[in-house]
Amino acid sequence: MSAPVLSNYDLDDQCYRLRLTASVAGVALDLVNLDAFPGRDHLSRGYLAKNPLGRLPTLEHDGLVLCQPAAMQLYLAGLPGARALIPADPAEQARMHDWLIFADRDLAVASAARACALMDAPGDEVALRARSRALLRLLEDHMTRQGTLGQGYVAGATLSLADLALFVPFALSRDFGIDHDDFPALRLWARRVRRCEGFITMPGIPDYH
Amino acid sequence: MTIPGWSPIALSRDIEAGSSAGTLLEGQEIVVWRDQAGTAHVWEDRCPHRGMKLSFGFVRGDHITCLYHGWAFEGSGRCTGIPAHPALDVPATICATTYAATEAAGMIWVFQPLGDPAGPPPDDATVTPVRSLVLDVPLEAALAALPEAFEGPLIREGQVALLDAGAVQLRIGLQALSATRSALHITALGAPGTGLLLDLLERAQWLRRLAGEEIPA
Repeated sequence: MSAPVLSNYDLDDQCYRLRLTASVAGVALDLVNLDAFPGRDHLSRGYLAKNPLGRLPTLEHDGLVLCQPAAMQLYLAGLPGARALIPADPAEQARMHDWLIFADRDLAVASAARACALMDAPGDEVALRARSRALLRLLEDHMTRQGTLGQGYVAGATLSLADLALFVPFALSRDFGIDHDDFPALRLWARRVRRCEGFITMPGIPDYH
Repeated sequence: MTIPGWSPIALSRDIEAGSSAGTLLEGQEIVVWRDQAGTAHVWEDRCPHRGMKLSFGFVRGDHITCLYHGWAFEGSGRCTGIPAHPALDVPATICATTYAATEAAGMIWVFQPLGDPAGPPPDDATVTPVRSLVLDVPLEAALAALPEAFEGPLIREGQVALLDAGAVQLRIGLQALSATRSALHITALGAPGTGLLLDLLERAQWLRRLAGEEIPA
């Protein structure tokens, strides 16, 4: 069977989320590289036919077309031979979904803040940054609690898709003007995520740490 | 307003061996880092080469290395390696600015005024770290909200607040990040159980609201 195909732009945060997930899951991806900025390839007729919202990335595999990053992560993690990144325990699995939805529904403002700061996207950069920071504080509170419970990751004691989804906006937060100084629990957690097998970086996330 | 003496800047458990973090003390940028042998260092957060924040750098062995050009500094602050000039015997005059630092009562402390020689060490205590809480309000406002959040009377001793929370005694390190922002380094005396610690965490979160921060709705 051929590898899943990711429509990819290296500097896009959600594309990195999928490259990271595939790498950690040990799943091979075929990348189709787009010039999103300044080329606006993601608004081309051919791309919009697959992804009508014109968002990156898109994942295609054997006729399946996915446009939502969380669904792509779940699909990759469910492929035969993928490393277990979905907790078997129902409560932990639900907690993973809870935080995946937080990543997409709430922390979408972090993607918007970054696009505004780096890629000339429209938006109120100051307001987007303030809201992103408030949401990262909420994640900081959660990881502080997890630490007190002896659980090193977002959903429980082991790495899950939620960690990989949420690592991205935190690791890239300096791109939109949020330092890591105020987030001790997230710093410790990010160091754990960085040490996981298959971890890869992207521009803006130093190789060294 | 600088109070001469020791100021807490982090919980010890939050700065792992081989890691670094930036913070502010009354607006002054500082880096705290822990070498692999476990010793904590507190310096000006500035590489003497191009002014890059050293807190963006990385720790290897007993060195912190600047992310920008890889200049490496040992615990004394002295530069010991410049990758662009591998054969160079680095002059002893190339140094990061170091501050007197120590660890006690579960916290890392720096001596103020920054750069002054250390005075007698801060009081020690056997504690359990709870959390550091960064607030977007001045330290005085954070202090004013503490008794209500933890339902107990508070006594301030220098840069430490002692709070009798009934079931547990809190020892809270006070850090003025700037004139408008503050950090509370919350520890509990002894070894409280998980249930009590979770209750303290909920109260610390509520402190944000008491201090006037809005819910991110």
